Amino acid sequence: MSVAYAPRARIRPGSIGGVALGRPVSWLLVALLVLVTVVALAAPLLAPFDPVQPVGGLNLPPLSPGHLLGTDQIGRDLLSRTLLGIRVSWFSALAVVASGLLVGGVIGLVAGAAGGWVDTVLMRITDLFLALPGALVAIAVVAALGPGLLHTLIGVSIFWWPYYARIIRGETKALAARPHLEAARLAGAGRIRLVTRHLLPGVVPTAVVSASLDVGNVVLLLAGLSFLGLGQAAPAPELGADTARALSQLLRQWWVPGVPGIAVLVLSLVANLGGDGIRNLLPARR
Amino acid sequence: MTQLQTRLTGLAGGTRPATRTLGVHPTVRFLLRRLGAAVLLLFVLSLVVFTLSTIAPGDPARAYVGANASNAAVAEARARLGLDDPFLVRYARFVGHALTGDLGRSLRTRHPVTADLAAFLPATVELVLTAFVLALVLGALFAVSGALRWPGGAVGRGVLLLLATAPPFLLAIVGVVVFFGSLGWLPAGGVGDFEDPGPFGMQALDSLLHGQADAWADAIWHLALPSVVLAVAPAVAVGRVLRASLDTVLGMDHVRTARSKGLTERRVLVGHVVRNAIGPALSMAGLQLGFMFAGVVVVEQVFSWPGIGNYLAASIPVADFPAIAGVTLVLGAVYVITNTVVDLLQALADPRVSAT
Repeated sequence: MSVAYAPRARIRPGSIGGVALGRPVSWLLVALLVLVTVVALAAPLLAPFDPVQPVGGLNLPPLSPGHLLGTDQIGRDLLSRTLLGIRVSWFSALAVVASGLLVGGVIGLVAGAAGGWVDTVLMRITDLFLALPGALVAIAVVAALGPGLLHTLIGVSIFWWPYYARIIRGETKALAARPHLEAARLAGAGRIRLVTRHLLPGVVPTAVVSASLDVGNVVLLLAGLSFLGLGQAAPAPELGADTARALSQLLRQWWVPGVPGIAVLVLSLVANLGGDGIRNLLPARR
Repeated sequence: MTQLQTRLTGLAGGTRPATRTLGVHPTVRFLLRRLGAAVLLLFVLSLVVFTLSTIAPGDPARAYVGANASNAAVAEARARLGLDDPFLVRYARFVGHALTGDLGRSLRTRHPVTADLAAFLPATVELVLTAFVLALVLGALFAVSGALRWPGGAVGRGVLLLLATAPPFLLAIVGVVVFFGSLGWLPAGGVGDFEDPGPFGMQALDSLLHGQADAWADAIWHLALPSVVLAVAPAVAVGRVLRASLDTVLGMDHVRTARSKGLTERRVLVGHVVRNAIGPALSMAGLQLGFMFAGVVVVEQVFSWPGIGNYLAASIPVADFPAIAGVTLVLGAVYVITNTVVDLLQALADPRVSAT
């Protein structure tokens, strides 16, 4: 089922491109995820310079003394800008996935547990959202609200829950047919108790796995929107927008547009690998 | 997209429709329902775009009379333009105009949006279709090389996976730096300078129709880099789904039978596996074609491709909402129609699909 909705769904459990993963490797990949989160959290402390102030020569190449990743067209330190940009990208992606998980999770759980017409109505609405071109409409939403990070997050979040609703509803339905649910019902557990104590815990692993495999997609989508000028306003560091602004220097100083772009690649790579690690460690149904 | 699920369960169990109601053939019923859903989706899309246009910044009445007009003049223009009418009346008028090809006037180019779209759409379609064909080929290689354990295939798959993890704008940048800046093999962007006499507005296709080999080669030369950049992510998405279903079908009993009666691996694949396994990959390909019409925006911007994505990218910074709304409507409609056509084709190819 995850194959049906996730463009980047994995082929076989426990493998990357056909190479099997052991548990230690999985833990290592999850550690990478934690490392990126810590770096993103501590970015203002780690950044050697003010990311919005010119602090050195113009367009210094990487490995220049004092500027590990070089400087940009007006002499701002690229390492500092990239670190702060990673912070914005990473937490934006996590926020979108978390909100999608929350909204989609509640809708999926209710639909799967209630069944009947509630299920039908909720899933019709979900299908409607799934069938609309999310990224495109997100662009229109941000354009209508006016550019800005918050508006971008709202625009993307509106279209990021249906996938979770589908997965969690399917998982809930499968769980609801299992004997322990029957037993709980016979023991006199009420509806709320059934959902919160007997369905929700069983759904969590699947939800966490699909969410963690999805962070990379959101990182890429947000970077693309930022590249188009739908993110934060000009002086603030943002990976996609920084690349777009320096595009004209591409052939003379490749690192000015290149470094923020490479940072997006690293984030997306870590997110995907970390997602694989989490999937291997959690006992989720595949 | 539930069709895909049905398809997967259909593969595993071979489900059949339990009842046939009203004497209508299930495939016909499926086709009708799917078409109905597509029409409904298009209306929802137009409703979303219209709602957004009402909350978009900028007052159309003030834009109409000019920034220095008095409030009375603005109010008068507001009444004359019908902006005081109820929401549903304005929405009905918007749909009526859209259906007759009137999407308003771009604030940036001052042309009717429909005329702009007609001018820019062919280049986008050319780029997306080229990339789509490329993605299908790469995706098939990805899947088959994995399922048949081709030696060296893992390296190719790894490279493709890594490329698909990168943001498209980074791929485009690296492509330009390497193939234009260092090697000088490919152009940095734009299309060829072929004076296109039509009829499609697509350089590669029209130059071929007019028998101009040089212009055709030039068009392909310009298409190469942007289409590869655009093709990588969908290739991996399609390749993964195809690989998964190839693995499933290769493990089935009828494949063991085919092998044990002495067929070569190639004949097993062609005769007994591919047709059974291709359904989910087709669905994913349809979805990806839709995604590509959104992803093309970034690629066109980097390569200065004179298409609808570049038009959208140029409209965003100046908040040209009529243009943005027009692009969203047209590309959204392309997305919905593509997915509908893929579903219909699948239902016609395999009746199990319509047994929902």
